[in-house]
Amino acid sequence: MGVLKELKERFERERVELRLDDIQGLVLRSRPEPYVGAHAMLTVEEAEGGRDFVRRLAEHVTSAQDWADDLQSWTGVAISYAGLRALGLPEDSLASFPLPYQQGMAARAQQLMDTGPNAPEHWDEAFTQDACHIALTIYAADADALDAALDQAKEVLEHSTGVTLVATHRFGVDELNKNPFGFRDSISQPTVAGSGVRPQPGQERSISAGEFILGENSETGSPLAVPQPDVLGRNGTYVVLRKFASRVGAFNEYLASQSPDPEEQHRIAAKMFGRWRSGAPLVLSPDHDDKELGNDPERRNDFTFEDDPKGLMCPHSSHMRRLNPRDSDLSIMTDVNIKRIIRRSSTYGPGWSPEVTSADDAKEDRGIYFIFISARAFDTIEFMQQEWINGGNFVDLGSERDPIVGLHEDDPTQGRFTIPAEPARKRIDGITTFNRMAGGEYLFMPSLSALRWIGEGGWTSDQSGAEA
Amino acid sequence: MNDRPDPRLQDESRLDAVKRAVEDVAQDAPTLAKIALEAMIREHNPDLSGTADSAGRVGMRSGKVSELTAIARLKPGGAERLQRIFDLTRGNMDGAQRVSTLHDMRFVFFDDNTRILFATAYDGDWDAYINDFATKIPELMDLLFQNVEGWPGIDSPTVKDFIADHQITASGWFVANPQVTVVDTRRLQRTEDAVNTFLDQMAGRTDLDEDTAAALKQLTDTISTPEAVDY
Repeated sequence: MGVLKELKERFERERVELRLDDIQGLVLRSRPEPYVGAHAMLTVEEAEGGRDFVRRLAEHVTSAQDWADDLQSWTGVAISYAGLRALGLPEDSLASFPLPYQQGMAARAQQLMDTGPNAPEHWDEAFTQDACHIALTIYAADADALDAALDQAKEVLEHSTGVTLVATHRFGVDELNKNPFGFRDSISQPTVAGSGVRPQPGQERSISAGEFILGENSETGSPLAVPQPDVLGRNGTYVVLRKFASRVGAFNEYLASQSPDPEEQHRIAAKMFGRWRSGAPLVLSPDHDDKELGNDPERRNDFTFEDDPKGLMCPHSSHMRRLNPRDSDLSIMTDVNIKRIIRRSSTYGPGWSPEVTSADDAKEDRGIYFIFISARAFDTIEFMQQEWINGGNFVDLGSERDPIVGLHEDDPTQGRFTIPAEPARKRIDGITTFNRMAGGEYLFMPSLSALRWIGEGGWTSDQSGAEA
Repeated sequence: MNDRPDPRLQDESRLDAVKRAVEDVAQDAPTLAKIALEAMIREHNPDLSGTADSAGRVGMRSGKVSELTAIARLKPGGAERLQRIFDLTRGNMDGAQRVSTLHDMRFVFFDDNTRILFATAYDGDWDAYINDFATKIPELMDLLFQNVEGWPGIDSPTVKDFIADHQITASGWFVANPQVTVVDTRRLQRTEDAVNTFLDQMAGRTDLDEDTAAALKQLTDTISTPEAVDY
């Protein structure tokens, strides 16, 4: 449990300024390595039964109160706009949410550049039937603890009416925490100001709490818009969920087409990701992988791009540098501190091996649930999709796209990736879409008091929702 | 090197053929119909073609370049205060230049200085960088727009709605270089200087190996013929 242990050492109770007992624990609590978990998706068919389910489920949702302590399991809940509507929330409350949330992820396909094979008409059925109302996530230290927490949730569901379980999904990672391409994932996480933790090595400062917790001051110095009434919005946050089917075989074959030498294939793959498979960053180990560095949470994220302004070590167009440019000079005025995200992704399917072929990809049995938390989650993902993933203007690379998560069907550069080098940069092309979007939703992660307010139909007894 | 041929050359024979067809059919038709048809033909040239897309929530977009046109009422004395800012900066607005997505900005007072028309051409989607303005150049944004009636402040949660509510989507939107951003333009300027320095160094060299000489000739061939700007 290296990550959690390390976090605990940097936690100081007297530094806490947030209402930890009201914030869902999942927001702040890092997952141990290894861990196991489960997602469940539920549909609310009848408002009163749905509210009763939320009310009883809320008793099992873990707060952030002791978030740096060891826990056997913890449960989080998020709700879509369609879900809030199905639960019967009053119109003025619904209208107080951000426009993209009200519209839902599928309707934002243009802003998200979810076109071609990523378009909503090709998504998994679970995401296209307006069925994603409540998303339940449980993390646990081991399988027994997960089973116990799942049994608890099942019991809540069994005593409910008007709520249907649409899909469940179990996952887990070992201490190497690899993504489907065999690279260590979820390394860099922002530090939330007021949560009681000193920034980890490599984070120059903590980020204003309002970037992650609604009602707190954001990086502008004042809070972002809070859904109304206050009891509903305050201490909540937003979640973006995007499911990807990873084309690991196509990735392997692409690397093989660039070089027959496995070491050179590792090197090109590392240039595309920005780290080696162990998690060792290119700027700290430019020429070869370094497993010891990759396994060391104190060192593997402790770097800037100050000594790599030309991208000779870590290409500007690599996935890691695009999505977290740190101190890089960008060609467009950008505040990177308002684009930080708390990452809670999970992978599914078999682990990486160089033998996976594109024929295996047809099964679509491996991939990532890309999940992140931010009080600006919808602005951030739409910005990232347009500017940092499906374009290169912000790093002076014209129309070049992210080699790992970019969409390359309509790519004007036909899958080009620039690898800075001296005396002349190298360009490789023909990159295809290695991660196909298979569905997703915009979600709201309410505070514990908001869950109770929803569960009890709080608007029926106060003045804020008279029409209900 | 990008070895894709100039898309205009690629389309030239096809373009000529379609043009003849258009002229045959449209001989008696209004000029407008010809323009429209020719515009449709040009959509096949990816590096040059504009589009009539949406810039997101409001406004039109052609290729990578979008338009924002807004009309608002000014506070009493607002026009005079703004005029003083424009006179002081003489078109050189430092914060706005750092943004690097703005091609231009236009401020026009009308109705006896009681109203303002603000128009700008910019790269990308409507609201991609508005959040960044609020933390990177809030003083400049508020200095300019606090003279507008009802301006909520750049850090207000309602600022996007305020802007969208005052915007009028253009009916027509034409961009000479729809696929070239402000950042691209700066790079192309830098690249031209660098290429010229390189050519200065190479001019007159007779000791080059065959491959280098051929690559150099190819570069010279590509840039040595003056070319009219063909919309």
